[in-house]
Amino acid sequence: MAEVQDKPNSTASSALSLQVRFVTKQEQYSIPDFPYSISANVGTEELNSVINRVLIEDDVIEKQKDFDFLIGGEFLRGTLEELVLRHEALKEKIVDDKDEEDAEQKKIGVEEVIEVEYVERTPAPEPENCLMHDDWVSAVDATSNWILTGCYDATLHLWTGKGKHKQGASHDQTVMIWEWDLSNNNVSCKWICKGHERSVECIKPDRHATHLASGSWDGQLKIWTVEADKPTADGAVGESTPSKGATKTPLMTLAGHKESVSAVQWSDEKELITASWDHTIKLWDVEMGGMKTDIAGNKAFFDMSWSELNKTAITSSADRHIRLYDPRSNEGSLVKCMFTSHNGWVSSVNWSTTNENLFVSGSHDKLMKLWDRRSPRAPLYNMTGHTENILCTSWANSDYMMSGGSDNTLRIFKAKTDLK
Amino acid sequence: MLRTVKDLQTGQNVVLSDKDLEFVKRIQSGKIPDSNFDNFAPWIDWFSSDVMDTPLRSMPPSKTSFLPSKIDKMKISKMVHAIKMGWMKPKPKPSTEPNFYMLWESDDKADEMRRVHDHIPAPKVRLPSNAESYNPPSEYLFDEKEMKDWDSKDDEPWKRRYNFIPQKYKSLREVPAYDNYTRERFQRCLDLYLCPRAKKMRLTIKAEDLVPQLPNPKDLQPFPTICSMIFKGHSHMVRSITLEPHGQFFASGSEDGTVKVWEIATGRCMKTFEFGCVIRWVEWCPNKSLSLLAVAADSDVMLINPGVGDKLIIEKTDLLLSETPDQGDYHPSERVKGAVQWEPVDEEKWSKGIRILIRHFKNVNQVTWHAKGDYFASVMSDGQNRSVLIHQLSSRRSQLPLNRSKGLIQCVLFHPIRPIFFIATQRHVRVYDLLKQEMVKKLISGAKWISSMSIHPGGDNVIVGTYDKKVMWFDLDLSTKPYQTLRFHGNAVRSVAFHKRYPLFASGSDDCNLIISHGMVYNDLLQNPLIVPVKKLRGHDKFSDFGILSIMFHNMQPWVFSSGADKTIRLYT
Repeated sequence: MAEVQDKPNSTASSALSLQVRFVTKQEQYSIPDFPYSISANVGTEELNSVINRVLIEDDVIEKQKDFDFLIGGEFLRGTLEELVLRHEALKEKIVDDKDEEDAEQKKIGVEEVIEVEYVERTPAPEPENCLMHDDWVSAVDATSNWILTGCYDATLHLWTGKGKHKQGASHDQTVMIWEWDLSNNNVSCKWICKGHERSVECIKPDRHATHLASGSWDGQLKIWTVEADKPTADGAVGESTPSKGATKTPLMTLAGHKESVSAVQWSDEKELITASWDHTIKLWDVEMGGMKTDIAGNKAFFDMSWSELNKTAITSSADRHIRLYDPRSNEGSLVKCMFTSHNGWVSSVNWSTTNENLFVSGSHDKLMKLWDRRSPRAPLYNMTGHTENILCTSWANSDYMMSGGSDNTLRIFKAKTDLK
Repeated sequence: MLRTVKDLQTGQNVVLSDKDLEFVKRIQSGKIPDSNFDNFAPWIDWFSSDVMDTPLRSMPPSKTSFLPSKIDKMKISKMVHAIKMGWMKPKPKPSTEPNFYMLWESDDKADEMRRVHDHIPAPKVRLPSNAESYNPPSEYLFDEKEMKDWDSKDDEPWKRRYNFIPQKYKSLREVPAYDNYTRERFQRCLDLYLCPRAKKMRLTIKAEDLVPQLPNPKDLQPFPTICSMIFKGHSHMVRSITLEPHGQFFASGSEDGTVKVWEIATGRCMKTFEFGCVIRWVEWCPNKSLSLLAVAADSDVMLINPGVGDKLIIEKTDLLLSETPDQGDYHPSERVKGAVQWEPVDEEKWSKGIRILIRHFKNVNQVTWHAKGDYFASVMSDGQNRSVLIHQLSSRRSQLPLNRSKGLIQCVLFHPIRPIFFIATQRHVRVYDLLKQEMVKKLISGAKWISSMSIHPGGDNVIVGTYDKKVMWFDLDLSTKPYQTLRFHGNAVRSVAFHKRYPLFASGSDDCNLIISHGMVYNDLLQNPLIVPVKKLRGHDKFSDFGILSIMFHNMQPWVFSSGADKTIRLYT
């Protein structure tokens, strides 16, 4: 390996050089396990060239591939030196505090062999389509073929993936919700679910689509059944025509939030997670009909998304940060991670349904951002296009990321997530 | 030989032998006669203190050695008697003072020698300068102008720069005697002797100590820090904003003749009501079971149903207001009738959202609701003695609380808990008890012109904003004078507001600054409120000398809204 070892050194001008070892979990790109000596002021590009050279030499790949580098569970964004020195500083602090339980931190330092994990870079999303509406788009959801959007002009739009417009008062018998609406209705006017006193802010069906949970401005969380013999659509929003639908009453009401429930999600069969404007995230046991735990934040939560894959929740609140919470643990700091890059209120966050590390966020600064959980300092990609505030995002269809905003458009970005 | 000696006892001659002779000689020389006697034989102390096993003598000690001596006893008793009788005294102790000492010993210990404590040194005589020299540089010598000046001040010599004329001599020898020498010395002695000297006390207070100890604003979070949303849509100055009691919406009234209802979370304008005249004030009815918004447009006060929020309540409100309550044989007095009229609402107005229309005889400046939502008051600044009216919604009657004009009334306020009514005239705030119908207090602001006031939700503290740039905090329990006056604004203060839940208050001014302060009121009566300014928010643009016109807090979140002359409403979080 001597020639590879020498080359980065010959081009380097920095005095500091580091020992690194490249590992990967993607078997097809594995390279021999040798420590390399690399000058410290290299970034991802230089590391990429090293990996690519080895891979091409070994005939693993034909052409260049882009990789991202994980060091200590964090993506390399600046230079290697920056990151290592930051860890060094952190280590000193830990030693000062006599708190040496964080063994992982100790592996990264000027004098150790740094283990660099490389993964294939998430490809950039491409703008795919832009659907024009007559009014602000306030809600969006998607299945594999259909996109459903709710609008401020009290209409619901069902779009095919191709962008063909199918206006309609909805299909199937989904429950319909719409802001400032007193009643919570079902679609195609099968039922109107009445009970909420104020506008319904959020709704989510459970995994089998037999129950619905909805949260409203009055701080109440209600659970509704959907008759099992009807095929249910996936968490859709429909138009209310109260004259046709039969009235439905809630199966259960969970009161506990003091203010508007802004997001609700089923975490398993019998458990609900809600986020509210009263600065709390609560876990509810549906079977018992009561609250299990609550996590207090210090800002009003605007949106929350819980991931099936990594069992953590990301939240957006009345500031520009996105915070990662782990509802299962209640020791240590509640906020596990903070993602800061937006310049306005983050109105909506959504985990990827296929990759446990990726999520999207839409903000009032007109940007939708694609994030990796492991890169809290910078998002992976910014998706521009909106000219006004983004109000809603969706990544329910793993191929497409969508965002709707107050510029009356729904923008669709194709997510090229061919990883795993 | 002389060895033969006559023995006197026997009378016989005895011849002395050699031995005898030596014997005699030893005696004569004073030695021990026996020549064999060892003069320095080792001493054996037979009667030592050591107790022997077999004592040399075994005599018991004599009895007398145990008895006190009788003679001694007699002597002692004599002495005791003499002491008792005072005949015998102890010898006086010899004095320990040395007979001779160093007279000048303490010379080096200056402090002990000083007659005057805290000695103040005499003021020093000014040292002679170059002008006093016998050979001064030529610039010190008087020219003609200075000479003339010297001459002109003959009458008032103390005004002269020097008390002598600098002169130049070739050598020190030629210097004549100084005429004033004796007098000057005498003056100096007088100075030293007669002038009282005082020690100059140096001020040891540091500037930092004078600044009151205020907590760090960081510890007082949460408070709004950043502009999060701008609500655009009005085409003229936004005069007034008001929050829906649930905190989901707010309404704004503008000079362009419209009232708009906005959703806070998204910034969406939900409804627009057109009136075609200047909207001076909007205020949402605090009763959560009514959906009503009071609007002051020119000389009308309108209660409109904004139609947002709970549908049931919207319908109920419409139903409630569609029928007029039976007035019975109630007839308003002429005075009330001349001031205000409840007009029936026709179909067209009803469809525009107007539910109740009250015509006033002058332009209405302000409308404010009682906390329960049944009574509301309207203010007409130029209404003279009929400038304040209190209306009751349920009976649809009006009354005039004031009989005489109290001055130019700026704004009024209901106490949040007790039946107390605040009326701000140009300079004072009058506090009326509505039950007893009398004035309880008069808060003296000392300002020239009050613009606005707001009351703490606890009801014991009032802040008043004035057009002369001040914000005053009144503690009603403490005094009728302001507890604190805050002068942070560079221009007229237009609006002040308290937060309902957080210890925050804010003031908005024509200099486009919105200042957020922490105003903690303690339940403990002994502790005065803590007021700390925490944040200055800028954002609005100036428009024809107006800056921020109205501010309000969100009821639940630590957010503040401000409406400005630049047609926008801003939300700071």
